[in-house]
This record gives sequence, structure tokens and C-alpha cells, in this order.
Amino acid sequence: MVEARIPHSLQEALILMSQATYTIVNGATDLLVQKRSWSGTIPKFSQPPLYIRGLKELDYICERSGMLEIGATTSLETILHHPKTPKILQHIILTMASPAIRHQATLSGNIQNASPAGDSLVGLYLLDASIVLHNRHHERVISIQDFIVDVRKTMREADELITKVVLPIDKFSQCAYTKVGPRKTDAIAKVAFGGLIDIENDRIRDIRIAFGAVYKTVLRSRKIEESLMGKDRSAVPEMKHVLLEGYASLIQPIDDQRSNRWYRKTTALNLLEAFLDSISR
Amino acid sequence: MAKIEWMLNGTPISSDIDLSMRLLDYLRDHQHLKGPKEGCGEGECGACAVLIDHQIANSCLVPMANVAGHEVVTIEGFAKTKRYQIIAQAFIDCGAVQCGFCTPGMIIATESLLHHQPQPTISEIKVALSGNLCRCTGYNMIIEAITLAAKRGRGEW
Amino acid sequence: MKFQPDIGTPIPRVDAKEKISGAAAYINDIDMPGMLYAKTLRSKMAHGKIIKRHYPTLPEGYAIIDYRHIPGTNIVKAIYEDWQIFPVDEVRYIGEPILLVVGENKDVIIDILEAIEITYEEMEPQFEWIDSVIHYHYEKKHGSRPFADANRIIEHTYETGYQEQAYIEPQGMIGYLDQDKMTLIGSIQCPYYVKNAVLMALGWENERVRVIQAHVGGAFGGKEEYPSLIACQLAMAVIQVNKPVKLIFEREEDIIASTKRHPAQIAMKAAIDSEGHIMALKVHVGIDAGAVIGLSGVVLSRAMIAATGAYTIENLDVTGDVYRTHSVPTGAFRGFGAPQMMFAIEMFMEHIARNLGKEPLAYRMAYVAKQYDLTATSGTFRDPILMQKMIEEAMKRSRYEEKALQYQNLHRYQGIGMSFFLHGCGFTGSGEATTIKAKVRLRREASGVVHILIAAVDMGQGVRTAMRKLVAHMLEVPIDQVIYDLPDTDCVPDSGPTVASRTMMIVGGLVARAAQRLGMEPQIAVEIEETYHQPSEIQWDEARMQGDAYPAYSWGVNVVEVAVDPVTGEVSVVGAWSVYDVGKAIDTLMVRGQADGGLAQGIAYGYLEVMRHHQGKIQQRNLTDYIIPTAADMPPMETYLFDNPYAYGPYGAKGVGELTLVGGAPAIAKAIEMAIKRQITKIPVTPEMIMELMTHGED
Ligand SMILES: Cc1cc2nc3c(=O)[nH]c(=O)nc-3n(C[C@H](O)[C@H](O)[C@H](O)COP(=O)(O)OP(=O)(O)OC[C@H]3O[C@@H](n4cnc5c(N)ncnc54)[C@H](O)[C@@H]3O)c2cc1C
Ligand code: FES
Ligand code: FES
Repeated sequence: MVEARIPHSLQEALILMSQATYTIVNGATDLLVQKRSWSGTIPKFSQPPLYIRGLKELDYICERSGMLEIGATTSLETILHHPKTPKILQHIILTMASPAIRHQATLSGNIQNASPAGDSLVGLYLLDASIVLHNRHHERVISIQDFIVDVRKTMREADELITKVVLPIDKFSQCAYTKVGPRKTDAIAKVAFGGLIDIENDRIRDIRIAFGAVYKTVLRSRKIEESLMGKDRSAVPEMKHVLLEGYASLIQPIDDQRSNRWYRKTTALNLLEAFLDSISR
Repeated sequence: MAKIEWMLNGTPISSDIDLSMRLLDYLRDHQHLKGPKEGCGEGECGACAVLIDHQIANSCLVPMANVAGHEVVTIEGFAKTKRYQIIAQAFIDCGAVQCGFCTPGMIIATESLLHHQPQPTISEIKVALSGNLCRCTGYNMIIEAITLAAKRGRGEW
Repeated sequence: MKFQPDIGTPIPRVDAKEKISGAAAYINDIDMPGMLYAKTLRSKMAHGKIIKRHYPTLPEGYAIIDYRHIPGTNIVKAIYEDWQIFPVDEVRYIGEPILLVVGENKDVIIDILEAIEITYEEMEPQFEWIDSVIHYHYEKKHGSRPFADANRIIEHTYETGYQEQAYIEPQGMIGYLDQDKMTLIGSIQCPYYVKNAVLMALGWENERVRVIQAHVGGAFGGKEEYPSLIACQLAMAVIQVNKPVKLIFEREEDIIASTKRHPAQIAMKAAIDSEGHIMALKVHVGIDAGAVIGLSGVVLSRAMIAATGAYTIENLDVTGDVYRTHSVPTGAFRGFGAPQMMFAIEMFMEHIARNLGKEPLAYRMAYVAKQYDLTATSGTFRDPILMQKMIEEAMKRSRYEEKALQYQNLHRYQGIGMSFFLHGCGFTGSGEATTIKAKVRLRREASGVVHILIAAVDMGQGVRTAMRKLVAHMLEVPIDQVIYDLPDTDCVPDSGPTVASRTMMIVGGLVARAAQRLGMEPQIAVEIEETYHQPSEIQWDEARMQGDAYPAYSWGVNVVEVAVDPVTGEVSVVGAWSVYDVGKAIDTLMVRGQADGGLAQGIAYGYLEVMRHHQGKIQQRNLTDYIIPTAADMPPMETYLFDNPYAYGPYGAKGVGELTLVGGAPAIAKAIEMAIKRQITKIPVTPEMIMELMTHGED
């Protein structure tokens, strides 16, 4: 039987993963909830766990060739307080869980968990993040949008480890993020909205809009965004109606124990409207 | 089973242990450290909080593998410090303890906060307590206690 | 006489140190040699006939405990005796405990649970409120007759949802045999309830059951009757395995299976005369008992008795029904029917005024009860009522008028709401005298140390500190000369359950009387006993619900200020102010603790805490989905106390614990009404509801 392991290097982890299928355990803040059975019993993993959280070589944030790189075992709390972390990601992480969870939890765990309510994903979609995966022989770089396929489904192969997340460093004149949860802190999103915009001489140089928890993955439409690129900010009010309709046709939320479809959709569009209004002002 | 080396309440230990065991179970069932409590087992309530490298963590969601190479301090260990005395006295003076089930976790949250931010604002305190549920107090008296501890403990953190 | 500070001056809580350091032993912190664990198998069906049970062959040392192991009566002794310890052939709600598996190794227990097969024949579950199992009715003066002469009739129906106690420490208990004595240690509110229930289930004689309280990590009513069920089941297990057995609930089973606050639907109708005065009210209160009636009748009667809240209305016709359904049983929760009723009456008074085009505050003020008014049940408010002054104080402290004026006129999504309320202290009617018959003892040793012997449980409200302080103060001895251990039924008399805001006023009153006698006793080593006698002027006719429902009332005013985000419908609670008349605070800091904590629960009941079932299945099953406030959700709170000593309470003290919860929901609901300029008839007022109202609702 294959046993639970703590690899001492990335190399060792990748070798182990080439030999057997493991469940990668990072901060364990998703997994120990999912695998929990009864207090006082050992959480039950169907595949042997591979505990990577201690891998120091993946615990970093640094700037390299104009990109920000975040290693896979870096805690959310570390990312939150790092001076280079993009503002939008800081805003988002501050709304995630609680300090106790953030000290353990990682960005790669949030990504691989691929929950429609995974908060960091909204930021990663907005920032055009890339996910870097390694197996024993190869490295792959996949954009976040391609990486996340469906609810709890990603492109990761069983022998691959997410080793880092890479963020282009872009300039934005304005950043908006709202997470609507059932309470002020430590809550799972009912709806999330993020917007980034860069305006130069009253022209929209860049605009990005993303929604969380209203679709099976984060919702971002490059097509709609493109319709705004290069426009004068004063043109936004007259486009508003079309924009709202555009997103309204894409948003497909669900009813569940936390909220309902109608509310999620209405609120998502309200947040978008407020963001659009702030552009022309 | 595997061997891990770590520190518990100031003492280095090496444990031959199931790596997936929850730290909370290890502390309570194997070390008889009953200060960390189980209120939910899902990371929501903070009753099981301990310090790992001076930072608050929910021991119900920490597998033993993840404490390898780290220093864990429970309320029992922290209770031996002067900083604990200051925080505890402030909790007493402000009436911040009722049923007490959340209290060890609240003390850990306070230490974790003051360690990084010795003079926190009210909103920083609220953020620091966001993973510690208390059903008895409505939080105000706890917030006052932390403010008082920060004031009395100037220079200690 | 030496100098004594005012009794209310705060002192350190006697158990604070051990709680802070983690040394205080809650039930799950206690282990015993040879102890086994128990886990419950629960019904997955809302209503079904058990047609077959397949139990696997058990390894040595493991046991399955079900209805066949009950030597006595298969009923949990509570007020209405319809709660089965284990079902025989029919399950009536999802989460109903069918059996226990007991043994040493938890993994083996899980395997056994997984191997058990229960075959059901599904039966039609009932979730509509049609099966009325208790119906009450009372009238005041002319009842509903004035409706015939009314100039106008105004009616609204109010709805409230489930509320989960959400004590941070889940339910739990340990049972063991000590010689041949069944001993139970637990997280409980009422040691003698547990003892009496186990006695009946076992059919044993009184001496053979002993119940001891462990430190209790919050209860709020949730550990009033429910632990009796666990105790009976555990006692059966202990007899079978003859070893200590520990049963601790997981959070999820605690949420889905234990009792919660009754959802209610309250229909209010007012007969209005040509001047706009209320001639009469007709009220119907419906509550959902779930599958077990239990305490529901008492909850219903408390709600009905509170039909007019803090107001005096001349004519009343009040009816109520307890409905049985195939959902999780509801039961005791701080407030006990009053929070539902207080929400309804407070909103209704506001809505009547608005429907009549009158200024709501002035309109309500005119009806606030005064001393010597008749209560809803035609008893008398004998003691002074300070509400007018308390309301003024609350308005001054919160700058109510100025803010209300501003928020009403500007459309800035801000609001401020004020609730008036009261809470009857002690058991309803003659319960204290006829059923509870509280008994307390003080024992002084030759060394001068005094033991307080009562069954009152400290579940966080601070009763151990308050009682010791009371006795120390009266006897003028240091507090460490007064001892009050966690109650043990082998050592303390039955001073009644720790419920109904009775502990300080009733039990404390008896303790004070005993202390007074002890103070005059020349002999050092002596024991004094006191028993409860109803003040003779208090008369109650149970059948007709007429007379003095309570010996005394505590009063309160809450003001809550909110801001609503028009984009998301989210509510921020900005401030909260409270003014209370609790007679006399035995410790002002502890009263403030109750005030803050109670108001937090009351406010959250009004806007935050959502729990629903779908076909009998609770949808919010853990603390991720059942949302209680965090520090960031609660505003700063200011509390002001008015002294108004009650003759029979110690130093004049009345009830505190429940009062502080009942006014929160209407205060925040009114504040939200002001902010969004829409009428609210349901709690919790969620962002979903706010958005719906802002989109489609009426003013
Ligand atoms: C109380 C509580 C509150 C929470 N609040 C929020 C919240 O507000 N917002 C939110 O988005 N989430 C929240 N979460 C969920 C969780 O904390 C996050 O998803 C977190 O980022 C997961 O990181 P982790 O390292 O703990 O993941 P783990 O539990 O270790 O792993 C999660 C998944 O990712 C996989 N994985 C992890 N690392 C890698 C890797 N390097 N390569 C490949 N696969 C990997 C694992 O196999 C697993 O499938 C909360 C959880 C709890 C318990
Ligand atoms: S028990 Fe760990 S957070 Fe609740
Ligand atoms: S004091 Fe009881 S939960 Fe905090």
C-alpha cells in the first residue's frame, strides 16, 4: 500500500507523483473539511495524501521579468501582506475566511478546488493569471481561464503539481471588488464582482470585468470588454443598457442554502451598474 | 505512520504518528491538552485555535504533517507567559468571559494579533477576531479587553 | 456595620481564570478509564415505517442500543410526554435518533453504523400547519366584540423563522455506573430534569440516579429539555456495556437534530374607532412544534400572554395553536415564544399607526403600559413601570429623534428603529408554586465557610459569581468563604431548572432569604433551607389563562441603527442602545454581558440567521451555512440600567437573561423599514428579502 508522504523537495514530490496517484494536500483547509468523518478519527483519503505545504522552495512571492510569481505553498496571509501583491488580490484575500484559515490556506489550493465561490479566482481571471504545472518531465503554463474547466474540474493531470501562479504586472487607475456574503467576514460568497480599469486621458485603455458565484466558473467576457476598449469614459452611460443586457444573458446563478437565483443575478447586475457609473464620473 | 520533528509548547518533540491526524486530536487525545476545544471541526468557530509560529491556526484543520518543522503553542503553553497574564487580566476586568468555551481561542487570536500589531485599531481587532465565534458576549466586551490589553502591555509585544 | 459597596459593583467572575487558561473541564474534556464512545444512527426520512432492521454481527465489546433496551418507559419526561427515547417502528423526522452504537474504537463504530440497514416504508410527511395538537384561547374584557362597532379594521400577518441556539459547545454527556448508581455528567441546564427523565426511563428508585453538571459552553435554552433525551439513551447504553460511555454531538448532528426556536405565524387584527384608537385586538399565534410537542404548549402560552407586548389594550381575543409536523422538533430558546410575539406586536403597532397616517412613535407611546393597568390576561401590573422615562433615556442616548427625522426624509438608506418590550420573570402562571416548588439550602461549616446548595447551572450567565456575591454581601464575609460548586443532584436540592429568567429572582430570592436567616443564626455549623411560596396576591387560572401570569416583569427599550446598501441589500448595524429595568443589577458588568449577548442574538434573529427546511431536511447544516454574527457584524452597544427594585427579588433583582433578546428583532426590522421605506412583516430580513421589497414591495 502506498503511504502518506511528506516530500522534502519539489523533485521528490514529482517523482512520487509519477509513481502513484496521490491526493495533494496543501493548507488542508478544503481537504480536511471534505475528508472529515468523526472527531477523533483520522480523515479518510481515498488516495494517499502527499503533504506539500512544507515545501520551502515553493513558498515565495517575487517579481521576475515583469511578472509577479507566487509559489504554490505561499499562504494567503503572506500574499495579503506582500507589498507587490496587486491591490485587487489584496482586497479579495482580505474577504476570504479568517486569519486562522489564511495562515494555512494557499492560492494553489483555492485554484485547484475550483469552487464557483472560490474568491481568489475572480482576481486571477481579472489579472490574466497563468498557472504553472509541473510533472516529473514537463512544465506547462495554462491561463486560469483555460485551466478551470467546470465546477470543481481543472486541466490538472494526476501527476501534475501546481508549482506557481504568474501574474502580469499591469497598471490600473481604478479597481473595484465587492464580495456579497451572508455576513461581514468569514463567509462564502453569494455573489462577487470585480472590475479593473485603466483610463488615460479620459480614454479607456483597459477594462476587465468578472463575476463570481453566478456561473459554474468565474464569468468574464472578453467580447464585451472589447466593446469598451478605447472608448471615451463619457460614452459609458449610453452603452450601459447594452452592457447590462450582455452580462444578464451570461449570468446563470443557482438556488441553494445560501441565496437564490434572482437575488444573485439582480445583485450582480447592480454591482456592475455601480461600477459602470463610477467610470463616467 | 511517519516521524515528524516539531516543537510543542517550547519543547522539541519527535512524533511517530499518522500524518493525517488532526492536530486538535493529537493535542487533546494524545497530549491531554484540553484547552483547544472542538466547536465545529470545520474551521468556522476558532475554539480549537493554537499558535503555529506565533500565528493563529485552527487545529481542527491542521494535519500533523503540516506541523513538521514548526512550533505549536497551545493555550496551556501560552499561559506561562507574561503576555498571557496581561491579556487574561484584561479579559477578566472587561467581563469578556461568559461560558468560556470560545475564550482560549479568543486569547490565542489576541496574541496572534498583538504579536504583529501591538496597537491595533478597533477594525483591526474585528478582522483578527473574524474566525472566532462567540455566542455569549456579542463581542463588545472582548474588543474592549483586547484594547485594554494592548494599552497595558505597551512594550511587551 | 462595615462599609459595603453597592451590590451591583462589578467583581471578577469566579470561574474566569480557569476558563481563560483552558483548565475548566467541559464535558468533552473529561475522560474516564475504560471509557467507550457512542454514536447515533439517525433517520434519513421525514416520515416512515421501520419494516426491517438489519444489524451486523458485532465484534466483541461493541453494542447496539435501541428501544428494546429501555427498562422503564419509552418516553423522555418533559412537559408534554410524547418524546420517544428511541422509535419502535415509525420515524417522524429527519435526524430522529434510532439507535446508538457503542464501543471503544471510533472507526469500528463507524463501520458498524455503515453496515446497519434500516428498511423503511415511506409514509406521507406533513409539513403544512394543519395538525393542531394544542389550542388555547383567552379574552380580555369584551374580547372581540368591539370589532362589530369598529370604524376600521387593520390586519397584518407576521412570520418568524427557525433560530438555532448555536452554543459554541455542542451537546454532550458521559454516563457511568458508580456502584449501582447511574451517574451522568453533562452539558446541561437543568440537572433535575435530566435526573427525573432518566428515573422514568429506567424505572429505578430515586437514589440510584445522579446527575452532575460539567462546565457548560453556552446553552440558551438548547440544553433545557434536549439533554434529557441524550441522558436516557446513554443510560441504556451504560447498563448494557457496564462501562463509562461518552456521547458528544458533532456540530452537524447538533444543528440538524436538536431543538430550535419555533417558527411562528402571527395574525393580528385591530378594531379601530373613528378617532383612530385601538378598541380591540384579535390575535392568532401559530407555532410549528415539529414532530414532538414537548414544551411547545408552554412556548405557545408565553407567546400568547405577551400578545400586547409592552402596551395596554383594553379588549383582546387571543387564540393559539401548536402544529405538529414531520420536521425537526422545536423547543426552548431564550425568550421562549416572546421573541416571536414581540416582533409581531411591535411591527403591528407601527403598521397600525402608519396605516392610519399617524406618527408611529407618538401613537405607540400612548399605549405603553402603566402601573395598575390590567395585563393582557387581566392580571395587574402591580409594580411601578418606568417605561416613559426609559424611552426618553433611550431616545436621548441614541439621538433617536434627530436621526429618525433625517432618515425619514432623506433617501439615504439609513434607518433607526426602537422597540418597547417586557418579559415575565419566572415560570408562567402558578408553575413555580405547583410544579417547580423550588428548594434551596445554605450550609455553614464550623470553619465559617458557607456552601450554596442549589441546582442552578452557570452556563455563562455568571450565576456562580452572582450567587456567591449575593451571599457574601449579605453575610458580610469575603467571597472566597462562600462555596458554590457545579451542581450535583446528590448534594443539592431541586431549586428548579435554570430557565425562564427565574434564577436570580426566584432562586436568588430564596438564597437571600436563607442568607438572612443564616446571618441571624447564633450557631456556626448549621444548615438553612428555604422553599418557594407564591406571593398570595398572585392568582392564576390556568384553564382560562386569566390572572397574573408572572409575579414580576422586566422591561426594556432597544434602539438599533442601520445602513442598507442599496446595491446589494446588505445591512450594516451601525449602533445599538438599550435601556433596561431589571429591578436591581446584582453585578452591573454581568448584566451588561447579558445585555450585549442577548441583543446580539435578538438582532441577528431579525436580520441574519436563516434556517429553513426543505421537505423536513434542514438546509443550513453547519456553521458555514447557519450564519451567526462575527465581531465585524456587531455594532458598539450602550446599555443603561434603571433601578426599580422588586420586593421579592434579592436586593430587588428581577429577570435579565431573556429580556435582552426579545427586543432586538423588531428594533432592527423597524430600522430597516425606515431605511428602505418598505413594510416588513417577516424575519429574518435578509438581503434577498430587502432586494425583493425594494423591487416589488409596497410602502
Ligand atoms: C472556515 C473556512 C472559510 C473559508 N472561506 C473561504 C472564502 O471566504 N473564500 C474562498 O474562496 N475559500 C474559502 N475557504 C476554502 C479554502 O480555505 C480555500 O479554498 C483555500 O484557498 C484552500 O487552500 P488550501 O491550501 O488549504 O487547500 P487544500 O485543502 O490543501 O487543497 C484544496 C484542493 O487543491 C488541491 N491542491 C492544493 N494545492 C495544490 C497544488 N499545489 N497542486 C495541485 N493541487 C493542489 C488539493 O488536492 C485539493 O483538491 C474557506 C475554508 C474554510 C474552512
Ligand atoms: S473546531 Fe476548529 S474551528 Fe471550530
Ligand atoms: S463566552 Fe460563550 S461562546 Fe464566547
